[in-house]
Amino acid sequence: MARKILRIKMDDLSYKYEEVPSKWAKWGGRGLTSNIVAEEVDPTCHPLGPNNKLVIAPGWVSGTPAAPSSGRTSFGGKSPLTGGIKESNSGGTSSQKIAKLGLAAIILEGMPKDSKWYVLVITKDGVKFEEANDLLGKGMYEVDEILWKKYPNKPAIIGIGMVGEKKLSNAGISVNDPENKPGRYAGRGGLGAVMGARGVKAIVVDDTGGPGVEIANMDLFKTGRKKLTDAITSHDLTKPGGGLNSYGTNVLMNIINEAGGLPTRNFSAGYFEGASKISGEMIAETVEKRGGGMTGHGCHTGCIIKCSNIYPDEDGNDLVSPVEYETAMSLGSNCGIDDLDYIAKMTYQCDDLGLDTIEAGNTIAVYMDSGALEFGDKEGALSLFDEIRQMTPLGRILGQGVKATAEAFGVFRVPTIKGQSMPAYEPRAIKGIGVTYATTPMGADHTAGYTIAPEIAGVGGKVDPLSDEGKSELSLTFQAATAFIDSTGYCLFIAFPILDIPEGWAGMAESVAGVTGQSITGDDVISIGKEILKVERDFNTRAGFTAADDRPPEFMRYEKLPPHNEVWTVSDKALDEVFAWVNS
Amino acid sequence: MPTINVTLYGDIAQYGSGKQLATLDLDLPQDANIGLLLERIRLPSEERGYLFVNSVLHDVPGLNASHNDPLKDGDHVGIFSISHMWPYQYRQGIHLSDTLKAALEEKGVMKNTYRE
Repeated sequence: MARKILRIKMDDLSYKYEEVPSKWAKWGGRGLTSNIVAEEVDPTCHPLGPNNKLVIAPGWVSGTPAAPSSGRTSFGGKSPLTGGIKESNSGGTSSQKIAKLGLAAIILEGMPKDSKWYVLVITKDGVKFEEANDLLGKGMYEVDEILWKKYPNKPAIIGIGMVGEKKLSNAGISVNDPENKPGRYAGRGGLGAVMGARGVKAIVVDDTGGPGVEIANMDLFKTGRKKLTDAITSHDLTKPGGGLNSYGTNVLMNIINEAGGLPTRNFSAGYFEGASKISGEMIAETVEKRGGGMTGHGCHTGCIIKCSNIYPDEDGNDLVSPVEYETAMSLGSNCGIDDLDYIAKMTYQCDDLGLDTIEAGNTIAVYMDSGALEFGDKEGALSLFDEIRQMTPLGRILGQGVKATAEAFGVFRVPTIKGQSMPAYEPRAIKGIGVTYATTPMGADHTAGYTIAPEIAGVGGKVDPLSDEGKSELSLTFQAATAFIDSTGYCLFIAFPILDIPEGWAGMAESVAGVTGQSITGDDVISIGKEILKVERDFNTRAGFTAADDRPPEFMRYEKLPPHNEVWTVSDKALDEVFAWVNS
Repeated sequence: MPTINVTLYGDIAQYGSGKQLATLDLDLPQDANIGLLLERIRLPSEERGYLFVNSVLHDVPGLNASHNDPLKDGDHVGIFSISHMWPYQYRQGIHLSDTLKAALEEKGVMKNTYRE
């Protein structure tokens, strides 16, 4: 059975299944959400108004048998935070279930005329619109629990917390994990507010009896799947007991700190004296010492990397899952807080309220920078989530993110690009990532440019891998590769083994080709990724973005970052070169 | 006699009597270098990953470019296990020692590890 698009209209509470038009047939995941948004959403519309849409799409290989670590769901729309196109993807249970229902995408459009809130229940038999007013004001932990009790078969729950209900710009979209906890987020860009603006509190997806995913060439799929699986399970970083499995993404905390690139106290330093106390190594020690929680946790069925963790409280009870590197940076070093227990408590609040942890922590850091709270005041930081929960005027400002908070409190050190705050890599110390932050259509995003093998990128050879030369070309290549991987449904962390093991790279492409029937090899990845980037850049241009939006914040050009005391030095010309090909 | 502050990250912390993290202050001879420091803590080369001195990267997994790099009193050295990851996109443009820069220019490719 060919994939279908499920279009849900909230203005008259109707739905229909549509054939996937030939122009979109080649796409999955990010490639599909971005193409639909670019064609169906007016780039000049208000993100919270009736003309924006939320598009949800599993990747090409999601829902196929035993494709390793392939549980990513892409969410797309016009971002309330950036004003541009947004794709934010999440782990959790939704991708495989949507795919197994035979759906290429779900398009959520319109706004309820009765101002009511709804839970959408999607099964093989169609969509039910159930009133959700009893769920309003409830956090995602309780919402997930209620919906799993109400609906059978342990469905996927896609939901928004109170911040999404209030349509604030830092609202993320939660997806439950296999244990029905809400910590998997399409967090970035405020797409939770776009979902809230459709009047949808949650989407329940039950794939029982669904048609499954059609595989065009099973032999090719199996061949590619084996190559990729072998690469993942043999690489030091992704194998069982490897770096990601042992320490999670927070394995990076101490490395980035030792390199002098860890955002600290609202991006005023690159070294945090308390980094080791909030690192992945400390999480591993804490799990062992407290006898609860776990490392090596999988966020979705079929993940073979298992980089997630469950952080335990002092009594060994599960507190929150996961505590990741970006979260430990934003709520930790960037706020001058060196206490993992408090970072975990704040992470819980983010997951419950429906906040992106990166933006939330960076927002508190900006608030601290205004003098309203001391850096390192962990009790004060935790209490700010009460302000958000109660939707006080302060809480509403904080819920809008870094840029709005900086404007409200008169802060000039505003670490944002296109309105979205920077993740855990200081661009003055790690200039390559700064080029990607500045130029990606998504706003400052650490996942926008993942490494691929140089011989595939065509930028290898004798190029000094760590020099200042060639950053523009590398950034474009990395962004294109990432756009491709974001379309597959595979987790971006497969990028590590396929960098070092060429058979893994080929396997990824072959598995996609096997499922879709398209003629795709490893050599096609960059060109396909560039097609996606072109569509996204074009949307942003039509939304009014110019080269001036592809710049890091001004303070980074003159404030020297300790310990290396460096400023941002990459030229505007080099930044403009990244996407010059789109306009030529 | 220079005193060097060393932090060991990951399972190599056992060479500093830790589990996942260990910090040591080592007194080394005047002509101390990284090779001597590694000998002193008895850390085998094949278990050493990224190595920093004062926020500057001096070595990467599988290369032994740093062993002759001198150390001075008050230096901080951070050493990681080989299982620690550091994706290229998150290290592009960071500070490198001259000896490491030369070694990487000779290799000319971007690798997460140079171990055989």
